[in-house]
Amino acid sequence: MRAAAVDWRLAAPLGIVYLALFAAPLLLLLGISLHVDQDLQQWGLDNWTKFWGDAFYRGVVWDTLRLGVAAVLATSLFAWPLAVFFCNASPRTQKILIFIILLPLLTSVVIRTFAWIVILAREGLVNQVVLSLGLSATPLRLLQTETGLILALMQIEMPLMLLPLISVMRGLDPNLLDASRALGAGMWRGFFRVILPLSLPGWIAGATLVFASACTAFISQSVIGGARLVYLPSLIWQQAMVVYDWPFAAVCSVTLLLTVLAGIMMLNWLGRYARTD
Amino acid sequence: MASRRLFLAGMAGALAAPSIARASGPMTAAIYPGTWDEAYREVVAPLLRQRHNVNVAFEPLFAVDQVAKVRAARGVAPFDCFVLDPGPAAAARQAGLFEPIDPKLITNAGKLPDGMLIADSATVNVQVVGICYNPKKFPEPPKSWADLFRSPYVERLGLTGFQTTFGTVSLIEMAKVFGGSITNVEPIFAKLREVLPKVAAVSTPAALPGLFQQGQIDIMYTNTNNAATLKARGVDIAFVAPSEGAITFATTLHIVKGAENKANAHRYIDVALSADAQSKLQLSPFNMIPVNKDVQLTPNLDIKSLDELSKMVTHDWNVINPRRAAWIDRFNREITK
Repeated sequence: MRAAAVDWRLAAPLGIVYLALFAAPLLLLLGISLHVDQDLQQWGLDNWTKFWGDAFYRGVVWDTLRLGVAAVLATSLFAWPLAVFFCNASPRTQKILIFIILLPLLTSVVIRTFAWIVILAREGLVNQVVLSLGLSATPLRLLQTETGLILALMQIEMPLMLLPLISVMRGLDPNLLDASRALGAGMWRGFFRVILPLSLPGWIAGATLVFASACTAFISQSVIGGARLVYLPSLIWQQAMVVYDWPFAAVCSVTLLLTVLAGIMMLNWLGRYARTD
Repeated sequence: MASRRLFLAGMAGALAAPSIARASGPMTAAIYPGTWDEAYREVVAPLLRQRHNVNVAFEPLFAVDQVAKVRAARGVAPFDCFVLDPGPAAAARQAGLFEPIDPKLITNAGKLPDGMLIADSATVNVQVVGICYNPKKFPEPPKSWADLFRSPYVERLGLTGFQTTFGTVSLIEMAKVFGGSITNVEPIFAKLREVLPKVAAVSTPAALPGLFQQGQIDIMYTNTNNAATLKARGVDIAFVAPSEGAITFATTLHIVKGAENKANAHRYIDVALSADAQSKLQLSPFNMIPVNKDVQLTPNLDIKSLDELSKMVTHDWNVINPRRAAWIDRFNREITK
């Protein structure tokens, strides 16, 4: 009982800071979204019905969540093999690998994003290679497509997936894989039956980070995706900063928050199954 | 106990720090990020210190962000001076965010063309908007707004919407070419629908120069500043005024309602208007078209004299502002894949 009281007081400073700087603004945001007019005088649900009653805006929500899922799938596809390779590499190689993995985190998001313009543009790196190899007669359209955006997000978000995955896989008992091999499982079977289930908690942590970060990657979405791909973050910016329709921008913001949160909670829910094996 | 006192002292220090930083610069001016920020730090700030012993602190914010910030502050001026484009300026005026400017305190008032210094606004620079193209790819430049929508130009065109001043006024002029007007932009939307599958890119305004530099697009509509900046970096780019006439609009300085340092704000505006400042601001890499009649225009500006401005196209933003939200929304819907 006494211990519990001390615990409460230890957590209080951070709790109060969170309450003041996190919960209060969120409530404010929710309050703004429940107004009808731009001067925030009249209460009402009009902006909520405007948003959800419109197929265009529902489409924007759907596209945003789909982008997050696509980024998770793309990073997973490359992160698992890379993590397996990492765990079996010599300490020296591991050091080099960790540097390469962390590299995207060490450069500013703006620079990373503009670097992808140089790579994906009509006269960019990829197209120069494709054209010189004769794989295509005309430059491929990569910039301002969803494929290009997912490709860029995959590199930008990769460390968020790899680091939790590696930290979990490093803790795995190497004997388990040996045992599966001794019992006749091949490489693929060993991966799917042993490594994959055991590393799932790491993947869930990584997937949560990648999903949330890809759904809200304002700069990458607007610079690489271009204006023809409309996602919630750019819609929020436009409504708040260009159109000045704060209630509607608040509706978009709360929607983004809740939908991304729903995705994260689903991953968490998945995590409960992963841990009770 | 001592540590708690230390902690409290630290907290007090942390809370006091912003106000100390604010007091040390006897004024704060909002400034556009990028070129404007660099230019005003390098040219205007030293002149202001030298002439009036005023230290100006700059707060880099886009026009819409400045207005949003002052509106959000609800009466407590977060900075002393705005720098705005006509759209946000009209909105800010309507919201009553300006303090009057006393013309007696502006010694350079007589050096400006008529109408550039009014009750609450001082034009500090004009922008000229037209067509930019890559002369290596197109020896024969597009001649009119309508040409942008014809082959071979349309396939290399970078489009941008109604989010920026230059984007909005350009699209209005294109609408006019196809039979529309400032209140009826329907024709340009019809045209956009038709050419969307063909255009090289539809982009956010900030990404356009990068796309041009990387060869993703070879034609865009933008201001002469952007053209001159890219040219100075070695990009193949040339500016051409469309046959319908180039567009011009003013960038204006204003004093924020309830500003803490009104006297210094007047000094700041006066220095920015002075021939000394303006003759430096027109040079590369800033390329700002001056408004002070004593300044000799340099060739990088793509205009020969201030008299040309009177022949260019201008727009009434009190007409545009109420319609713009709907246009932006419409643009979103129609261009989305």
